[in-house]
Amino acid sequence: MIDPLFLEGIIKVLFVFVLISAGLIISTRNLSSALTTYTIQSFLLAAVSFLLYLIDGKGQLLLLACLTLASKVILIPYFVSRIEEKIKIGRDLHFAYLEPTPSLLLSIGLILLSYTFLSRVFEGLPLSKLFFFGAVIGLSLTLMGMLVMFSRKKVVTKALGYLSMENGVLMFGLFVTELPFIIEVLIILDLIILVLLTTILAVGMDSSIEEYRQKFRELQIWTGVESR
Amino acid sequence: MNTSFLLFALLNPLFALLAAPLYMALIRKVKAYAQGRRGPSLFQVYYDLRKLLQKEAVYSPTSSWIMRFTPYLNLSTLLVCSLFVPLVFVPEPAGGIGNIIVFLYLLALERFFTALGGLDAGSAFGGMGSSRSMSLAAVIEPTMVVAFAALAFVLKSLNLHQMFALNAGTILPISPTLVLVSISLFIILIVETGRLPVDNPATHLELTMINEAMILEQTGTNLALLELAHALKQFLLMGILINTILPVGLSTEIDAGKIAVSAFLFLLKAGLLAIIIGLFESALAKMRLFRLPAFYVMAFFFSALTILIEVFA
Repeated sequence: MIDPLFLEGIIKVLFVFVLISAGLIISTRNLSSALTTYTIQSFLLAAVSFLLYLIDGKGQLLLLACLTLASKVILIPYFVSRIEEKIKIGRDLHFAYLEPTPSLLLSIGLILLSYTFLSRVFEGLPLSKLFFFGAVIGLSLTLMGMLVMFSRKKVVTKALGYLSMENGVLMFGLFVTELPFIIEVLIILDLIILVLLTTILAVGMDSSIEEYRQKFRELQIWTGVESR
Repeated sequence: MNTSFLLFALLNPLFALLAAPLYMALIRKVKAYAQGRRGPSLFQVYYDLRKLLQKEAVYSPTSSWIMRFTPYLNLSTLLVCSLFVPLVFVPEPAGGIGNIIVFLYLLALERFFTALGGLDAGSAFGGMGSSRSMSLAAVIEPTMVVAFAALAFVLKSLNLHQMFALNAGTILPISPTLVLVSISLFIILIVETGRLPVDNPATHLELTMINEAMILEQTGTNLALLELAHALKQFLLMGILINTILPVGLSTEIDAGKIAVSAFLFLLKAGLLAIIIGLFESALAKMRLFRLPAFYVMAFFFSALTILIEVFA
């Protein structure tokens, strides 16, 4: 048996890396590095979940780690990288409302906000420091994902923001609420569907009008409409 | 003033002064390999310094005492700084030596006089370099203060000696947040030593110069002193970063064997860091001047995060 205190130490180090990855997703202008960062972030979450399993010994946590590994580290990044190949856009340089620099500064504020908020919510509850810290990071990860979603203009980055927001929910669930396993599975299914839809939309929207028409013809939509 | 500190005051600056140029050369070598060249020998820096030291200094007719004074001031400032960063062993505390605020102000003094020296020669290049350097300094200095404040907060002291004494002897850093501070310290190291993506040390092009522009008019002995000071500054900042993230082997007692081991290990670790810096520089292009604050904000973000995490957890 490994010493739980040592495991908790490692979890704290992983927390730090999760926050770094969140900061990188906010500030990067390169789509492929944003995707890599998301993959690493998901992997870190899987690792946290596995370490919690080693401490607690609940089989559910192990399952969750495997599920996260399979879906968020392998499947979803694969789909998103397919999108990135198809749309031939390497960088996301357009921002709405906030440039990355102010976003980073704002996210410090968001972390502070979630800390003050959660410290009031959990006042008087017997929650260990590690778990409280995990909850704070989970909530701030969610808020930072939201920040990515509204400050970016490209669909792919928005989707990545949404995905990292879900990572935050998972983190929060791991440390505080003990989300039922079935809900976690459903959320992951939803995510896969979302990414698939984004693939279809992004590939469709990026092709030229002629190609779009060609595709519609092949699918026998609008066949009789054209007058010629 | 105790014997431990006297020994330290002899050994540490000497070690830093001798080893510092080597790492300038090592970074150059790594960059050369990354570009598919062989690059100059590691000792070329020492030959260059010897050559420059033997040459006489030439001054522009418009220059004043500042230009003559700056190289000596810079080198002596950094020699004093080298008393603040324990490289071979951590001595018992003495006086105000090691205070982080004094350290930051000494660095600021060096920066200020380099900028003045750039202006003093009366060439357009120097003035441009000084202007750029000062505007960047105005942005990086708050970040530096926050980063060092985070370091002080984590290691629970304002004295660099006490901080590293606390950290010494552990294989892993004592707190996970030190990883975060190290990222900030790395960015500060890159900015302060004028490396890519902030400034390109290998070019004399008008558009990209910051640091080189300020010492463009310096010649002979003065140039040698300035380059030595620059190398020393890089070595000391590297020392702070290494003692923060990878303190293993740093000796806290006076023992010839332990000091030798700690100095040797430090040389190895600094070599590793120099290789990382070289690769980092090779992988990046120079950033646009107005995008640089975004780079600094990363450092600020990580330092502020460190303080937040230390308060929470």
